[in-house]
Amino acid sequence: MCASPASSPRPASVSPAWSGEKAPPLVVGAVERTLVVMPRRCIGCRTCELACSFAHGGPGRMARARIRVHPAGEKRFVQITCLQCENAACAKVCPVQAIARDERTRALVVSLERCVGCGLCEAACPFGHMHFDRETRRAEKCDLCGGNPACAAFCPAKALEYR
Amino acid sequence: MAIRIFIDEQEVKAEPGESVLMVARRAGFDIPALCYHEAVESIGACRLCLVEVRSGARPGISTSCNMKAEDGLRISTDSPEIRRDRATNLELLLLRAPGSPVLRELAARWGVRPRLQPPPDAGIANCILCELCVRVCAALGHNALAAVGRGEKKRVGPAFGKPAEGCVGCGACLSVCPTRCIVMKDTPAARTIWGQSFEFHRCQVCGQPVITEKHRAFAIAKRGLPEDYYDVCEPCKQSQASQRFASVVW
Ligand code: FES
Repeated sequence: MCASPASSPRPASVSPAWSGEKAPPLVVGAVERTLVVMPRRCIGCRTCELACSFAHGGPGRMARARIRVHPAGEKRFVQITCLQCENAACAKVCPVQAIARDERTRALVVSLERCVGCGLCEAACPFGHMHFDRETRRAEKCDLCGGNPACAAFCPAKALEYR
Repeated sequence: MAIRIFIDEQEVKAEPGESVLMVARRAGFDIPALCYHEAVESIGACRLCLVEVRSGARPGISTSCNMKAEDGLRISTDSPEIRRDRATNLELLLLRAPGSPVLRELAARWGVRPRLQPPPDAGIANCILCELCVRVCAALGHNALAAVGRGEKKRVGPAFGKPAEGCVGCGACLSVCPTRCIVMKDTPAARTIWGQSFEFHRCQVCGQPVITEKHRAFAIAKRGLPEDYYDVCEPCKQSQASQRFASVVW
């Protein structure tokens, strides 16, 4: 099934090719280092979700995780997080320019001081990876943990790597 | 070109014209502030962000949110006088918003006990009339809110007291309100805010609300993304994306 219309913003450097041992992996993000997502290695343990929600100050609430593990058939899982799109819908719709590229990590980062909580970015992200927190009433997304993503650090299957 | 200002004797880099409050916060100084928001112009309404200017032609206590950084500016963020003035201002805010948790927490921390009685009709309960909602609503291009009336009769609400045409039901006013005094009600059917009811645009996969119809129409007209970007809810978009990636991987 198609996740987004043909006109969707293109992720920075996704090579939607094979992942796993021999094949080139799905690459998300930066020029220098990238969060490499390898669904073929994923065992569906959701440690990444837990690590993410802890890393972002939540009391370990999985609902706040900015990475998600989705079942994709018999013993198959796909981890999805923000693709740090080059021409990002979230940044484009933001009426107050609260979403900007971090020059160092190349992640798109929400400034919580600038976000006014209108919720437009959540509605607009074609991949469902902008999250509007109903308690803080601010937008939340993957910020690559400022250059040391917890999801990759804790993945026991090496299905996520930051390299 | 970067300039230098001195906060509590510490040298801090800033851009000329930046809000002193913003510069100070970035450098880790803790200055209380309720009506400040980076996305909009500051108007110095809550008067809690007081600092003392120690340089230049006009030294003295002043609000920092609407003070512009100038090269060589020297301020201090704490002194008995600053604390006294902040406490007085907090006491006055408490008269407007006696039930506000944010204010009560500050009052408890600063040992402030209101000596006066709140006026009988304070308008919207717990509104401190800082107009942050008004400023943000205008910045978003909706212009649905205004301060109406003067003095004791001043209130914040839809301009002219009637349901505002420009309101799209986005809820940003509530998101930025420092005392969270704006009431918004979401039911599966619709969202109600400022006396108006807004129908939701629904996810084409699961039927959950995505955004109000009016907010969607505004975004399509003003923000230039294709219409179908708002047709699927966050969880459904995620699972669609996961299936798409799975089909590439296997
Ligand atoms: S934050 Fe400066 S007056 Fe309110």
